[in-house]
Amino acid sequence: MMDLAASLLSPEFFAAILRVSTPIILVAMGVLISERAGVVNIGAEGMMLSGAFCGVVFSAYTGSATVGLIAAIVAGMVGGLFMSFAVHVLRANLFLSGIALNLAASAGTILALFSLTGEKGISGTLDSEVLPSVHIPWVQDLPVLGTILSGHHILTYVAFLSVPAVAIFMMRTPTGLRMRAVGENPEAAKATGLSVIRLQLQAFLLCGVFAGAGGAFLSMGYVSWFSQNMTAGRGFIALAAEVMGAGGAYGTLAASLLLGSVDVLAIALAGEGLPSELLQAAPYVVTVLALALYGLRQAKQKTIGTVH
Amino acid sequence: MIRSAFASTAITVGFCLFVLLVVLVPVALLYPEPGEVLSRFLLGPFEKTRYMGNIVELATPSMLTALAVVLMFRCGAFNLGVEGSFFLGGLTTAAMVLWMPLPPLVGIPLALLAGAIVGSLVCGIPGIVKATTGASELVSSLMLNYAAVFIGLFVLNYYLRDPTAAMLSSDRFPAEYRFESLIPRTRIHIGSIVAVVACIIGAIYLNRTSQGLEVRISGTGNDFSRHLGLNSVALNIRIQVIGGMIAAFAGGIEMLGLYSRFTWQNTTGNGWTGVIVAIIARDNPILIIPAALFIGYLQVGGDLVSRAFGVPTEIVSLIQALVMICVTSVAIFQHPALRKFVQGNRGEAAQ
Amino acid sequence: MQMTGDETAPQKALVEFREIGKTYPNGTVALRNVSFQVIEGDILAVCGENGAGKSTLMKILAGIEQPTQGTIHYEGRQKRIADPNVAGDMGIGMVHQHFSLIRSLSVAENLALGQEPRRGLLIDRRAAADRVRELAQKFSLDVDPETKVGSLSVAAQQKVEILKALSRNTRLLILDEPSAVLTPQETQELFEQLRSLRARGVTIIFISHKLHEVRALANRITVIRSGEVVEDGVLSEMSDAAISKLVMGVDVTRASRNQRDLSAATPVVVVKKATVATGDSDRRIDAIDLTIRAGEILGIAGVDGSGQEGVVDLLCGNVQPDEGDISLLGRPMALATTLDWRRAGMAHLPGDRFQIGGAPHMSLVDNVMAGSHRDKQFTRGPFLRVDAMVARTNELIKTFNVRCLGPREPLNSLSGGNAQKLVAAREFSSNPKFLIVNQPTRGIDVAAAAMIHGELLRLSQNGTAILLVTSDLDELLQLSDRVAVMFDGRIAVVLENDGLTPERLGPYMLGLEKAS
Repeated sequence: MMDLAASLLSPEFFAAILRVSTPIILVAMGVLISERAGVVNIGAEGMMLSGAFCGVVFSAYTGSATVGLIAAIVAGMVGGLFMSFAVHVLRANLFLSGIALNLAASAGTILALFSLTGEKGISGTLDSEVLPSVHIPWVQDLPVLGTILSGHHILTYVAFLSVPAVAIFMMRTPTGLRMRAVGENPEAAKATGLSVIRLQLQAFLLCGVFAGAGGAFLSMGYVSWFSQNMTAGRGFIALAAEVMGAGGAYGTLAASLLLGSVDVLAIALAGEGLPSELLQAAPYVVTVLALALYGLRQAKQKTIGTVH
Repeated sequence: MIRSAFASTAITVGFCLFVLLVVLVPVALLYPEPGEVLSRFLLGPFEKTRYMGNIVELATPSMLTALAVVLMFRCGAFNLGVEGSFFLGGLTTAAMVLWMPLPPLVGIPLALLAGAIVGSLVCGIPGIVKATTGASELVSSLMLNYAAVFIGLFVLNYYLRDPTAAMLSSDRFPAEYRFESLIPRTRIHIGSIVAVVACIIGAIYLNRTSQGLEVRISGTGNDFSRHLGLNSVALNIRIQVIGGMIAAFAGGIEMLGLYSRFTWQNTTGNGWTGVIVAIIARDNPILIIPAALFIGYLQVGGDLVSRAFGVPTEIVSLIQALVMICVTSVAIFQHPALRKFVQGNRGEAAQ
Repeated sequence: MQMTGDETAPQKALVEFREIGKTYPNGTVALRNVSFQVIEGDILAVCGENGAGKSTLMKILAGIEQPTQGTIHYEGRQKRIADPNVAGDMGIGMVHQHFSLIRSLSVAENLALGQEPRRGLLIDRRAAADRVRELAQKFSLDVDPETKVGSLSVAAQQKVEILKALSRNTRLLILDEPSAVLTPQETQELFEQLRSLRARGVTIIFISHKLHEVRALANRITVIRSGEVVEDGVLSEMSDAAISKLVMGVDVTRASRNQRDLSAATPVVVVKKATVATGDSDRRIDAIDLTIRAGEILGIAGVDGSGQEGVVDLLCGNVQPDEGDISLLGRPMALATTLDWRRAGMAHLPGDRFQIGGAPHMSLVDNVMAGSHRDKQFTRGPFLRVDAMVARTNELIKTFNVRCLGPREPLNSLSGGNAQKLVAAREFSSNPKFLIVNQPTRGIDVAAAAMIHGELLRLSQNGTAILLVTSDLDELLQLSDRVAVMFDGRIAVVLENDGLTPERLGPYMLGLEKAS
């Protein structure tokens, strides 16, 4: 048990939290933008999966990790186009369109993987690239902090930098303001001359950018291959993180880190001989508990906040 | 009203066929004999009694999961926990059969009941959490689907595992617990009859009972039921628990009907299929029966071309995803020209 | 009466509608063949019943909706007003009935929305705030740029809405029923501001169905009925009776109340010092005392959000008081739920017939029978007796004169007035001892309103105690035996209705006066 305590306090443990939280943060930022624009995107999971797949395939065929990343982002944006087409043109139900996108992405990636490699499970035969890690000068030489902060995958830094960027984008730029207006009261926004559909399309596309990048992190960093349904509900966890963050970028970051640390803790405890299946279930159970606690707090605040 | 329901059904059928061809024809063209691929997919399922039996076997669990989804959706709960309920229901039923050596006449109902109760948690907990804390049942049910699988695998690995088997699976069920085939050369079992009857009972419940009316009122939003003084919170929880029980019961039936041991390593997809069937059925319990058979037909067709030509079965999932969007599309279903075309002049006269 | 038109000035048309028609995709015809001119410098009143098409026509002019036929000419040139931005560029601004403001944004953000001043990639917040101050000063409308719109009073929100409409060099200002949410005094203030805008050369179109307001403000009038223009002319040349008849199409005799002395009647509902301190701020109430007697109609007046909704919530069991007592015919009700209230003889016609009062996609049978669906006569064990339900529905459809295609049609296939009659049929037919009616005739046609008024008077004569909440002061004064005026969650005064006037209520509604 002493070993466990030591490993939980080690710099490597904190570094692992940053690593594991990266995809959740990225996707949660995308979900945040779409949610504030009034289109909760259940399809983020599918966008992420397509991103993971296209990153591997395009980097394998071009030999360039950058092309892979771009392809992943484009794949996410295609998912955004799909959502917008379903919701705005066909006027299908938002949630069901998201579920359909997830279903299509799951089947589509397997189908494409099979037609490219003859395998359905894993992209082992594809010689794909990974995105680089970054060692920060000066910081990497610091004791403890160096291990925690330096040497991460480039998208980990991108994820953390994207949080203030998204905060500024939503709160301070014209487009962010318009998206919030559309999300809060589409009728009023329309009467003001804003194009609800265009803004929501943009939100879907931005969500796709983040979800695609999140997917690329999984298949081009976290591991170096694609396997079927490898996102394992991270898109949904990001959805939960956004709810817990109450639609704010920094709150969402905090929630993502919390859910990420549960994951890392589960991995650490599995090393101690606890049943790995139960530990794998833990992050999902914790997410439900966190959502419930958050809901309770909201309800309470509403009561307290309204007393004379 | 009746005429507009007819129009919706007609448009649904039309679009199912349309999407089917839109996906299938290009895929078929990739193969040397596209005509063969198409006819194998579309006509193959009717060639043999066994294939038609397969359609019914596949439709059986999704009829029940779809019924669960319809009940929850009609009550206004956007709960997607059927997938996890189905898995846990199957697992618990398997465990009961292995652990409780009772005579089948007692043991089978008891095992199914236990499965239904345990499995209902996946749908029921999000319902309770929603009622007590306000957290969205959609997100928590999605989370619990994953948790259900891992907890189930834990039970399988530590308590049910057959150490002599090559793969992770339970011991064999005693033969007398397994459902017998009702029709020779198929594996159609008593569960299919149960599923059809359940859908009919579901329709009667929703449309012809006082509580069913309350469910439908609840489903239109809380304001109206609150105005009437109905306790829609309690009703909502109850329906989500019942929905979970039906889905879990389906898992148990599937287990005893088609398996000789528990072998699931992941969710089976029957829950998601249930969602799709429910949507194609437009939340109408009676229409679940043809909708489930249609999806079963697609799956058998996909399976046949997969075995004959190596076409991956995932194209069926693609077809399902597209059907789902088309069927919920307001733009399609309220298109005046389309409705007029389907309803014809008689439709106008009736109005 | 004030004569605002200057009939000798040369008349130049600012806007001309030429044969405008609007048919919605579902086949509803909102407008047909509408042609008339808006003269520059006029204040034009557009009058008509609810659902006559006035709002649709104005939305077309403001670029929010597109006509399916006809053309609009602005300053003599044909224009296609594709969206509200085009209208804004042309100098057309609109003040909406349901404000087009975003509640969580500040006044400055709301005004900047869509045309934000920028500094680099970001919004220049200071410039946005300065712009608001500048506009506020120019038009003498006092607002603080940094306040969140959601925290403003309704009257202040309307000022913001007007400023927003004026923020782009506006030459034509359209107001959709601007006085609906204001007290008589606030309405006077608004009219002063509109007159001064006109003096600055702004042409004004205002939609109203209140004749005395039209008289006070406008110099021309256009009357629309069932999507067609039935009159277009100079206001001073028309009598009130003529306008009334044009608006309604028929002479409607209004139900009238007999002056009665009810002081000896049995108290049905007694509320003592009831306080609700939680929930939405505009639904809170503070130490309310009320008695409603058998056969009495007690009206509640007040600016929207003064606590009327809180009283309704309290007396239908939606909320329980934090402090105080309530009784219904002597039975304690402080802890009662809606179901308890209903069992004790309460019925409730709510303000929103499609959201609260009924389920739009469910059939008329389901809507009418909901609530009595567990009565013995309609059930057999757990099952419904559908034939008995349909028979009962048909009976009520007939009695309440609901125009519909049949009992199996969905509620949303009915017009607003018929839907309201159907919901009223359900609530009134239970022979309630106590009836709450909230905005009973909002947005419905005159005939349906008259029918509902008649039913209310009939019920009160049969001894039902009625609580009437309405923002239509004419309706309030026409029906109520007594009027309680609310301000800021309290009852400011309870007045006997022996010839009360709106002006008498105004100071109480604004909180300027209180009962001693």
